[in-house]
Amino acid sequence: MRINVAVTIILIVVIAVFALLGTRLFYLQKYKADDYEIESQSRQLAIITIKPPRGIIVDRNNNILAASNIVEVVYAEPRLMSDPDVAKLIAGRLSKILGMFGPEILKIIYKSKNPGYVKIKEGVTRIQREAIDKGITNGSLRGIGLMPKWQRYYPTGSLMSHIIGYTGYEEVGLEGLELKFNSQLEGGKGQDIFRVDAHRKPIGLEHSVGNMKEGSSLILTVDSTIQEFTRSALIKQWKAFEAESATAVVMDPWTGAILSLVSVPDYDPAKYSTATDSMRRNRALTDPFEPGSIFKPIVATIGLDCKAFGYNASFFCEHGSYSGKFGTIGEWAGHRFGNLTVYDVLVRSSNIGMAKIGRKIGYKRLHKGIKMFGFGSKTGIDIPGEAAGTVRNLKDWNSYSIRVSFGHEVSVTAIQMVRAYSILANGGSIITPHIVRAIVNGEGQITEIKRPDALTGHVIKTEVANWVVRKPLVGVVADKKGTGKKTALEKWQVFGKTGTANISGRGGYDETNYVASFAGGAPAEKPKIVVLVSVRKPNKSLGKGYSGGMVAAPAVKEIIEKTLTYMENI
Amino acid sequence: MSLLIELPILILMGMGTVFVFSAGANVSSSFNFQKFYSFTTHKQLLFFPLAVCVMYAMAHLDAKRLSFTRAGVVKSYTPYLLALSAILLVLALVPGIGTPKNHSWRWLTLAVGPVKISFQPSELAKWAVIIYMAAILDLCADSLKKYWKRFIPICVVPAIIVALIIGQDFGTAAFILFLAFIMLIIGGATWWHFLTPMPIISAVFYFSIVRFPYRMERIKAFFDADSESSATYHALQSLIAVSTGGILGKGLGRGYSKHGHLPEDTTDFIFAIIGEELGFVGCMFVIGMFVLLTVMSLIAVNRSRNRFCKLLAAGIALTIGLQAAINIGVVTSVLPTKGIPLPFLSAGGTSLLLTAAAAGLLISIARQTEDLTVIDDLYPAMEIVNEPVAAAV
Repeated sequence: MRINVAVTIILIVVIAVFALLGTRLFYLQKYKADDYEIESQSRQLAIITIKPPRGIIVDRNNNILAASNIVEVVYAEPRLMSDPDVAKLIAGRLSKILGMFGPEILKIIYKSKNPGYVKIKEGVTRIQREAIDKGITNGSLRGIGLMPKWQRYYPTGSLMSHIIGYTGYEEVGLEGLELKFNSQLEGGKGQDIFRVDAHRKPIGLEHSVGNMKEGSSLILTVDSTIQEFTRSALIKQWKAFEAESATAVVMDPWTGAILSLVSVPDYDPAKYSTATDSMRRNRALTDPFEPGSIFKPIVATIGLDCKAFGYNASFFCEHGSYSGKFGTIGEWAGHRFGNLTVYDVLVRSSNIGMAKIGRKIGYKRLHKGIKMFGFGSKTGIDIPGEAAGTVRNLKDWNSYSIRVSFGHEVSVTAIQMVRAYSILANGGSIITPHIVRAIVNGEGQITEIKRPDALTGHVIKTEVANWVVRKPLVGVVADKKGTGKKTALEKWQVFGKTGTANISGRGGYDETNYVASFAGGAPAEKPKIVVLVSVRKPNKSLGKGYSGGMVAAPAVKEIIEKTLTYMENI
Repeated sequence: MSLLIELPILILMGMGTVFVFSAGANVSSSFNFQKFYSFTTHKQLLFFPLAVCVMYAMAHLDAKRLSFTRAGVVKSYTPYLLALSAILLVLALVPGIGTPKNHSWRWLTLAVGPVKISFQPSELAKWAVIIYMAAILDLCADSLKKYWKRFIPICVVPAIIVALIIGQDFGTAAFILFLAFIMLIIGGATWWHFLTPMPIISAVFYFSIVRFPYRMERIKAFFDADSESSATYHALQSLIAVSTGGILGKGLGRGYSKHGHLPEDTTDFIFAIIGEELGFVGCMFVIGMFVLLTVMSLIAVNRSRNRFCKLLAAGIALTIGLQAAINIGVVTSVLPTKGIPLPFLSAGGTSLLLTAAAAGLLISIARQTEDLTVIDDLYPAMEIVNEPVAAAV
C-alpha cells in the first residue's frame, strides 16, 4: 500500500533526524562543555571580596592614630522605587528614622545612575539601625537596605594628618603611612565566588579563594603629646605672623626616630576630600627651601673637620661689604664686622665670615662635606613624597656658588636639616630619619624594623661636632650678642642657629618674603631632642619681625621646654 | 501495542511537569499560593492530570467520527473544528478580544471569575488542519490526480488557515504548511502538483520575513554568531545550558541557566534545562521517548486497515515527532531561534491539552488495530468471514 511505503520512508527520515540531533548533543555535551562553561562564567559568576579589618596605627605610647570600624550604610535600590508614590512613601518613613529631610532622600534616589544601589547615609545609631531592620523585615521599607562597611577613622583628627595620610575608596591608602604601608595594613583579601542569577543575585556559594589575613598594624616613633606640643606652638606662630605655611620636626638625634612632625596648614584625614592641595602637602618633606643661616654651622663643621682652619682661626669680615667676581655680599641688618673668630661668625651670623670660611675650605671639600651630611639626596624616611632638595654638581659650581657657605644656592628639606643637626648633636654619626618603629602582624607578633646601627658611620669627628654644638651653637642662644636668645631656657641649655633666608623668586631675591627658621636642640651637653621650626613668608608688614630669631625661636623654645619637661616625667 | 504509545507520552508529560517546576523555581520568584494560577509552574501541576484525563477521554472516542467517508461531510466534527479554528484565529486578531504578547496577536484571553485563561488558537488550527487533510485525502482517495478539481480545492483550506496565522506567528504557519504537504505526499498527490503553488508560497514567506525586522534579525543571528542581537544571546544561553550539563548533568534542580539567564526556560527552551540538569543521558532519554512514540505510532499506521485512520495517525505522529525535532534543533542551535514548543514537555496549557487530545486519537487508532473484533468497512469481506474460523482454530 502506498501510504505504508510513504510512512516508512518518513519514519526512517525522522529517526535519522533524531540521530543527528543526538550526535549534535553528544558533541556539545562531551566536547564543548568546557568551552561553554568558560563562556558562562562572565554571566553566571560573581566574586565578592571579603576584606579583613585594616591594621591600626598607634603612636609610641599605643595611642590609636588610625583604625577601622564597621559602619552601617543605609542604601536604596532605585529600581524598586520607580513608582513615585511608593518612593515618596518610603522616603517619608526613612526620613522619620534617620532625621533626614524627605525630599533630600528622594533626590538621592532619583539622581542615582546605578539602578541597583545608591548610598543614602553612612553610619547609623543602634536605634536607627533597629528601626530600619524592622522596616526591611516587615516590608514597609521595600527597596531600602543596610550594609556593613569598613570605615577608617582618625581619633586625633588633623593632629597627625601629614604622618598618617588617609585612605580613599575601599580603604586604599592614598597618602602618608596609609599609602606607604598600604599592603601591610591591608592584609590578605579573601574572595567568595558565587553563582548568580541574571539580576546578579547570589544563588549559592561556589567556592572561596585567597587567604584572608588580618592587616598588620604599625607602631610609630611619634609621640602624640609631643606632636600636640609641636603643633600648638607652631600654629601659634603661624597665625601670629600670618605666615603662608610652617613646619616643625622634633627628632631623637641618637636614633633618627621622629617624635613629632607637623606641617601647617593641615587637614582632617577623615575629611580629606575637602582639603586643598596646599593643606595636603607635607611641607617638612616635599618643599625644599634655601635654608639660609641655619646652614652655616654645617659648613663651619665641614671646615673644622677637614682642618681647613682651627677653632681659633679668625676671618676678616670686610666691614659689611665684600665684593669680587661673585658680586657683593652684605651682612644682615647692615652689620659691619671686622675680624671674627669661627665662634663669632656663627653667633653673630656673618655672611662675609662664612664666605671666607667657604673659600678656605674650597669647593671640592665643601661639596663633598655637604653631600656627606645628606643634602641633595633623600633621607629615606618612611613617609612617602619626600623631595631630595638641590645640591648642584660640583662642575656646575661657579663663583656665585660661594653663597652655599651661608645657605643659599642650595635647597634643603626640613627633614634633611633636622638630620644634619642631629648628626651634630649625636657627635657625628649617620642616622636615618624614621617614623615606624615596628610592625605588628595579625597574630600580634611584633617585628621591630631593623635600622643601620646608629653611631657606626661617622660623618665628622665627634670632637668637632661637640665643639660646634657646645660652643657657637650654645653661644647663639646664650651669648648676649647671639641671634637666638629667645630660645633660652633656665633649666636646660638650648643650642641652635637662627636663619632668615630671602625667598628667591623670579629675578632674584625678594626683600619681603622670607623663610624664618630655627634649628637646634637641648640639652647641649647630651642632646635629647633636635628641633627645627621653619615658618614660610611671615607677614613683614605686621612689624613684629620676620627673622628666625623673632618668628621661629619662640616656638622652638616652647617645644623644647614642654617636651623635655614631659620626657622627664615619664 | 497502544501501551507503548501511552507510556512514552505519560513519561514525557511527567518529565515536563517536573522540569517546568524546576525551571520555574528560581531565586527571583517567590511563591504566592493565593495567586496560584498566575504562576506557570503551578499551572503545569494542574495541567498534567488534566492532560492525562483529556488523552484517555479522546482515546475512547472513535476516530472515525472525524472522517468524511464514515460520518459524512456534514455529520463529521471536522468542518466545525476548522470553522472554530478560523473564527478563533480571526478573534485573536481583533483588538480588545485578542491579547498581544511580544508584539504579536496570538492569544485569546478568557476571564473565568478571578482566573484568566489564555488560549492560543493557532495550536487548535494546527490539529484541525491535520484532521482536515486526513479526512479530505481519505474522501478524495481515487480522484487526487485531478489538479483543478481536487488538488487546488484541497489546498485552499490550509492556505486560508496559514494566511490567518502567518502575520502573527511565522513559525507555526510554516510548520502547518509543511505538515499539510507531507499529508498530501502520504495521501498520494502527484509530485508535480506541489511545484505549482511554490512561487506564490515563496513570495508570501519572503515578504513576511522581510516585513518583520525581528525575523530577519533571527535569521541573520543564526548565520552570524558574533552579532550582538537578542537572538544571538538567546542561542548562546541555550548552548551554555545544554553544553555545561555534560554527560550526566548538574543534577535535577541544580542548573543555573534557569535563574534568569535563559529566557523562555519553562516553555520553548525547556529541553535546554533538561540538558543542563540531566546531561546527555537525560537528553537521549527524552529523544528516545520521542523515537519510541514515533516508531510505535507508525507501526500502528501500517497495521491500521482504515485509510482515514492511517492518514490521521501518521499526521499526528509526524506532527509530534517533527515538532520535537525542530524544537531540539533550535535549542542546540542547528536551526534559527524559533518559538515552537516541545510537545508534552513545554509549559503551556493550550499546547499540552491539545497535544494530549491528539495523542488520545492516536491511542484510539492504535487500540483499534489490536482489537480485531472491530469490523471495519473497508476490511475485505473474506477476512471478516475468516476471522471467527481462525479464532476457533
